Amino acid sequence: MKSGRIFYTILFFFVFTSLLIVVGVVTSLTVTSYPIFSRDGLSFIFKSTWNPVKEDYSILPALLGTLITSAIAISISTPLAISLAVFSIEIVPSKFRAFINNISDLMASLPSVIYGLWGLYVLAPILHQYVMMPLHHYLGFIPLFSTKPIPTNLFTAGVLLAIMIIPFASSVIREAYNAVPYYLKEAAYSLGMTKWEAIKTMLGYIKSAIFAGIFLALGRAMGETMAVAMVVGNTFTFPKSLFDMGYTISSLIANQFPNAEAYNYMIPALYGGAFILFIVGLAINLAGLYWIKKVMIKS
Amino acid sequence: MKMKANTKLVLTTIVVIAVAVLVSIFALSSWQTPTQQTTATYTATTETTPTPTTIQLSGMINGAGATFLNPQMQAWASKFYELTGGRIQVNYQSIGSGAGQAKFREGVLDFAGSDPPLKADIYNEFKDKGGIIQFPVVIGTIVIVHNIPTVESGKLKLTGEVVAKIYLGEIIYWDDPEIKALNPELNLPHEKIIAVHRSDGSGTTRVFTAYLAKVSKDWKDKVGSDFTVAWPVDQLGNGVGGKGNEGVAAAVKQNLYSIGYVETAYAYEVGLKVALIQNRDGNYVLPTREAVESAAKTLVTVLPRAYEDWSHIFPDETVDAPGKESYPITSFSFVILRQVYDDPVKVAILKEFFQWVLTEGQKDENIVKGYEPLPPEVSMVGLEGLKLLRTT
Repeated sequence: MKSGRIFYTILFFFVFTSLLIVVGVVTSLTVTSYPIFSRDGLSFIFKSTWNPVKEDYSILPALLGTLITSAIAISISTPLAISLAVFSIEIVPSKFRAFINNISDLMASLPSVIYGLWGLYVLAPILHQYVMMPLHHYLGFIPLFSTKPIPTNLFTAGVLLAIMIIPFASSVIREAYNAVPYYLKEAAYSLGMTKWEAIKTMLGYIKSAIFAGIFLALGRAMGETMAVAMVVGNTFTFPKSLFDMGYTISSLIANQFPNAEAYNYMIPALYGGAFILFIVGLAINLAGLYWIKKVMIKS
Repeated sequence: MKMKANTKLVLTTIVVIAVAVLVSIFALSSWQTPTQQTTATYTATTETTPTPTTIQLSGMINGAGATFLNPQMQAWASKFYELTGGRIQVNYQSIGSGAGQAKFREGVLDFAGSDPPLKADIYNEFKDKGGIIQFPVVIGTIVIVHNIPTVESGKLKLTGEVVAKIYLGEIIYWDDPEIKALNPELNLPHEKIIAVHRSDGSGTTRVFTAYLAKVSKDWKDKVGSDFTVAWPVDQLGNGVGGKGNEGVAAAVKQNLYSIGYVETAYAYEVGLKVALIQNRDGNYVLPTREAVESAAKTLVTVLPRAYEDWSHIFPDETVDAPGKESYPITSFSFVILRQVYDDPVKVAILKEFFQWVLTEGQKDENIVKGYEPLPPEVSMVGLEGLKLLRTT
């Protein structure tokens, strides 16, 4: 009885603390970024300059860069994450299953600076030579591939992000797939379904978990700083194609924060960027939730 | 009995919430101004030490700032730690020149390291608080590097104006008439120049852009000089930003026909091709010991005193120094101190350490490769300045 009360008190304390932290983050984002919004208003969001000499800041190119790299990352990593999850459960002999899962979990826990260095020195040159240059050469008439690529650009950043977030999405999907009631699987086979048909049925059953995994991964992709800063090209320009260099909000913060205190408005501007990123992330997640609900209701 | 337990529960909850609120408020308020702990622990020292040199002072001083200065400062600190038998520990964190100056302004550092001297507004702020001293501790240079496969290192000749035009996006191809005119003997390809620059705010960029502003009026009017600038060449899609010296070096190596600027030590370390640059007297030079010394010597005439405001002189006036052999993108790295400290022990330690840095520390065996020692005339600025350190 008494120990129960203590338990609930402690529980309440922790819940309260984590709530308070979220409130604190939002408050400090708002308060610290207030000067830039009160000075520039919405033009802080919709212009395309980052000129510390004139203390003229805006965020749109970086916001676009964030959305583009995240979109590339999600579209590459989603099929791969689902395949990895299914592969590790359905195809791999059970002896190797733990091994595959461990490798995948290890990938998730590698520090991002390692991905960044690997991306810069290994991935970027390979992508440049074997993927981007051929795409540009043969499909350059499509606007998406129209820029003559150099190794570090939005596309490289997107691919690197995709590699980084696969294990996140995959582990969520894997757990959900494992949790599907066994009788469902047996029922599928007893109806004479092939393995492929059975897998399709199972995946349909865990649709919402797949979305959850993807949104978790998306959050990570949008917030990644160091790895992206190393491979995105870091030019403050409007991207015209996937092979253009660019910036993301997170990599802008990683690049500019160390010397930001030398300026009057750069810190508010960087916090302003973080604030916009927070709002956009929230909006995407809410849209996702709404969509999942609709999907769930339909099925 | 039950009543009592309930009251207890309510009380505990209230206390817990109160503590949580307090902790978070404290965390929030200190979040805005992240303070670095200046833990100075002194052993066996009295407040009334008249001649600090005779008494074995011990303690620790904390500095932070320029990343460029970091390897040299770490080398000095560890050497000095050895020499004093562990008595004096100097901590230096490489957080960037701008951040160093800001933290110094907040008063959480004993000293700051910076590529440019203290900004004028901070300098004036300190005037009322007893003043500051700032002095050069070492010389650094920046080289122009390139990646043209057909051109060897040390062969390509460039002028400051041409480099400015490349970064302005006005010269686009390597076989531009203006580059060809400087290099009639080289076979320059018709390839787009990819102009690599730092993407993070850095003192290196501050000095490099100061040089471009000095030699090109266009650059001065359109772009200016700062830790980060809005690079016009980026708008053409021919510019690329690398994070840190290593990012610039990687970008230059990976992109054929690129050009970039890095700290000299770094260029040689990773084997980048270096370009000759024309100095004010019209000669093409590399950052050799002689070229750097020559540039530093010409600066002696314009050196202010340590307690004066240097911001309008360095680096804007001192880059592109005159002299037949002078290397034009040469700059000092500065150390910035307050004149007044609360703690006499701290004053003594700062004096002892920086006196050593400006004398013994300038000897070849204590200078890290890629830096150049100060000429004695320049060291004198700091040695004179250190005499002004005092306690309240």
